[in-house]
Amino acid sequence: MPSRRRTLLKVIILGDSGVGKTSLMNQYVNKKFSNQYKATIGADFLTKEVQFEDRLFTLQIWDTAGQERFQSLGVAFYRGADCCVLVYDVNSMKSFDNLNNWREEFLIQASPSDPENFPFVVIGNKIDVDGGNSRVVSEKKARAWCASKGNIPYFETSAKEGINVEEAFQCIAKNALKSGEEEEIYLPDTIDVASNSQSRSSGCEC
Amino acid sequence: MIPDGIEDDDKWLAEGIAAIQLQAFYLHRALDANNLREALKYSAQMLSELRTSKLSPHKYYELYMRAFDELKSLEMFFKDESRHGVSIVDLYELVQHAGNILPRLYLLCTVGSVYINSKEVPAKDVLKDLVEMCRGVQHPIRGLFLRSYLSQVSRDKLPDIGSHYEGGDDTVMDAVDFVLQNFTEMNKLWVRMEHQGPHQIKEKLEKERNELRDLVGKNLHVLSQVEGVDLEMYKDTVLPRVLEQVVDCKDDLAQYYLMECIIQVFPDDYHLQTLETLLNACPQLQPTVDTKTVLSQLMGRLSNYAASNVDVLPEFLQVEAFTKLSSAIGRVIEAQADMPIVGAITLYVSLLTFTLRVHPDRLDYVDQVLGACVKKLSGKPKLQDNRATKQVVALLSAPLEKYNDTVTALTLSNYPRVMDYLDNGTNKVMAMVIIESIMKNNSCISTADKVEVLFELIKGLIKDLDGTSVDELDKEDFEDEQNAVARLIHMLYNDDPEEMLKMICTVRKHIMSGGPRRLRFTIPPFVFSALRLVRQLQGQGGDVVGEEVPTTPKKIFQLLNQTIEALSYVPSPELALRLYLQCAEAANDSDLEPIAYEFFTQAFVLYEEEIADSKAQVTAIHLIIGTLQRMHVFGVENRDTLTHKATGYSAKLLKKPDQCRAVYACSHLFWVDDQDGIKDGERVLLCLKRALRIANAAQQMASVARGSSGPVTLFVEILNKSVQLSLHLIEVTLIRYLYFFEKGNPNIVNAAIQGLVELITNELQSDSTTPTSDPFFSSTLRYIQFQKQKGGAMGEKFASIKV
Repeated sequence: MPSRRRTLLKVIILGDSGVGKTSLMNQYVNKKFSNQYKATIGADFLTKEVQFEDRLFTLQIWDTAGQERFQSLGVAFYRGADCCVLVYDVNSMKSFDNLNNWREEFLIQASPSDPENFPFVVIGNKIDVDGGNSRVVSEKKARAWCASKGNIPYFETSAKEGINVEEAFQCIAKNALKSGEEEEIYLPDTIDVASNSQSRSSGCEC
Repeated sequence: MIPDGIEDDDKWLAEGIAAIQLQAFYLHRALDANNLREALKYSAQMLSELRTSKLSPHKYYELYMRAFDELKSLEMFFKDESRHGVSIVDLYELVQHAGNILPRLYLLCTVGSVYINSKEVPAKDVLKDLVEMCRGVQHPIRGLFLRSYLSQVSRDKLPDIGSHYEGGDDTVMDAVDFVLQNFTEMNKLWVRMEHQGPHQIKEKLEKERNELRDLVGKNLHVLSQVEGVDLEMYKDTVLPRVLEQVVDCKDDLAQYYLMECIIQVFPDDYHLQTLETLLNACPQLQPTVDTKTVLSQLMGRLSNYAASNVDVLPEFLQVEAFTKLSSAIGRVIEAQADMPIVGAITLYVSLLTFTLRVHPDRLDYVDQVLGACVKKLSGKPKLQDNRATKQVVALLSAPLEKYNDTVTALTLSNYPRVMDYLDNGTNKVMAMVIIESIMKNNSCISTADKVEVLFELIKGLIKDLDGTSVDELDKEDFEDEQNAVARLIHMLYNDDPEEMLKMICTVRKHIMSGGPRRLRFTIPPFVFSALRLVRQLQGQGGDVVGEEVPTTPKKIFQLLNQTIEALSYVPSPELALRLYLQCAEAANDSDLEPIAYEFFTQAFVLYEEEIADSKAQVTAIHLIIGTLQRMHVFGVENRDTLTHKATGYSAKLLKKPDQCRAVYACSHLFWVDDQDGIKDGERVLLCLKRALRIANAAQQMASVARGSSGPVTLFVEILNKSVQLSLHLIEVTLIRYLYFFEKGNPNIVNAAIQGLVELITNELQSDSTTPTSDPFFSSTLRYIQFQKQKGGAMGEKFASIKV
């Protein structure tokens, strides 16, 4: 049985609290931006149709809580991701330093079939702040880290001004598509065409 | 049914996943064949796996995610009418034939989202229908995940402003209504868990509830993201309805978590504008809710907001944020009578941080917060709780850090009152923080009132507090502390002598209570501080007549005399002697003969009565001679008395070499090389002769001892040394001769010098143990040569000396 044509691409956005994960998603999907900080609770996704090589894909973009206290149910939604976006704030060294943790945590929890080649994309956000004067993470430093982790594509964006957001997500979509993560092909042991597989549930009747 | 353990949990999960995969396999086959009937059948069977009661929330979430991913394909299939040929309206009816309610509702939500997408009916009608229908599932975990699915599939189909689904009958209010209703239902399900199951598994249930909380909280996140929820709508609808649910549910876990969510998911300016509503909810929460953390988080957010942008500060003033927060905190503390003290103080720390950031100019607010803290602490014994103590230190340190000027903290009337509640150890730590802050900021304390307040604040360092045993003190710590106090005394200064004198008196009052161990650290800086004032008065031409007490050097000296006297009883006689001499010199500069005389008298008395150690005597005598030499205020009579005494002490030192050195040093007391200085050549000569006699005596004693000693080499070496030393004493005395000779003392004649030169030369040649080339003596000879060759009057003077 051949693998079905992939039409849905799952993308997970990770990064510290306040780096602009929700803003990037909102800017990309809705072309909207709000300066107000609003924490994200749990995991939330928006979808966007993207055209790529004459085919239409649905990009399912999962925005996540940067604050650990709002991640009470765990990260089961990592499963089946086609690309992981690591976001940091160029004005915060700590958020950059934590990229490594986010990456490792993702590889452990999502356990992709080929962790070495799993597609990541790194985004340095908030390049607009204070005309770039409050920046503490240099592009060089960020690119060096990306290179050391297997040449992760790198983008510098401003979700506020909409700078480079479209380009970053195009790259994300492209990499998600190329990702080696094939959907698991499931073959049952026996196929009973007449089966009316009965429910095994032992719960109540609701 | 509750699974027995983790292993079972994993087993059930694996079975559930396997079943979902199997049904999904059939589902996808049906979808590939565009077979709607089969697709519905297998999807319903797949979703039946979510009916399990065996899994913990974490595992259930994993299972749910599996089904969720499959439903996405089903949704795409539903969307494409060409594939199944059934209109969306009919489809919405058709899926309701599924046998079990849980699969039925999942399918209904899936079709419902497609239905809204089709825009064939107003979104609000479908949403309303779905949110009502979901009531059919009342099992908490299953219900929460079902509603969370509803929330997720409707997420981008809400009729909020600017969305595809707005317009016509649909308004943003419908979107808000829908989310609020789903939130309310979910919270009810969540709270109900608390009351299920036997008491023994309460802990486990609590844990499971905690895991599920984000499903409920996520609704608030969705609300915050709904476009069109402006401040007005938030104020009038969203917040009141959310808070109503929070308060009414009467469940502490839910209340705490949801308050935390509200604070985190909604923007700062909304909080500011609805502060009263939000704060009014706090006292209505269950008494077991950790309201202080909630309030601290709120204040933390608002503080950061104020710090991020100065433009928002007027907003804070306009809504009277401080007053509202302050009274809310008061109410919460009052309502929760058994709140531990650390909780209350933590709240005050948050409020203070807020105040310092938002209203740095309002010292009265800062004092008010400290005052409230005092009120809370009053009537209770000193703090024992470590965490509470830490919070108090944080509370007291905050203003010091903020103002970069410790003087500001001194004006806060409640500051010392808070400090009083610290245990002695922490009190001292805090006192050190204050001193360090003064040092770091170079703050000058410039009034007696402030000195009074400051010393009251640091009294833990100034004197023994009740209950501190001396043994407990670490010597090094103690010295560090006292040195800090000493440094602090130097930071107290005012240009105005009258005020400065008042400050000095205040300092004196405090340090005198410090006890023997402290005085030797604190009196010296005090003395020098007072002497600085004396010098300042001199610069201004003597006495300054003040209104009440005239500030005169005399008065200050009187004060100093009494102060130093205390030191001599400590006992630190050597230190006291040094200070007396310092004062004498200052009195000399102020032309106050009787006072200078008095200080010398005191110094001499100490020398005679208290200083017994011969080394200390040597040091003291040289200090006395040095100081006395510089005095010009004394008349002949006083001067004679003092020099006579000093010379007498010198000749009575224990060791001959010490005697010799002190005596030739005394020669300078009779020859002061100033214009009006005393020039008593005869007595100079007497001193020098006496010094020579002592040196000779020492030399003879050494020689005799050497002659009689046996072959003990070590002893010989010691003796050789003493012979060399006594010869050296003669050499040094020769230098004095040369000095006075040059200065024109008529009593020093060249014959005497000639005699000494020859004496030393002979000694050097005769004594085999002495190196023939004595570098000291050689340079003296070179000097004489040099003077001879100089020519002029000096050359003539030296001409007759042969070397």
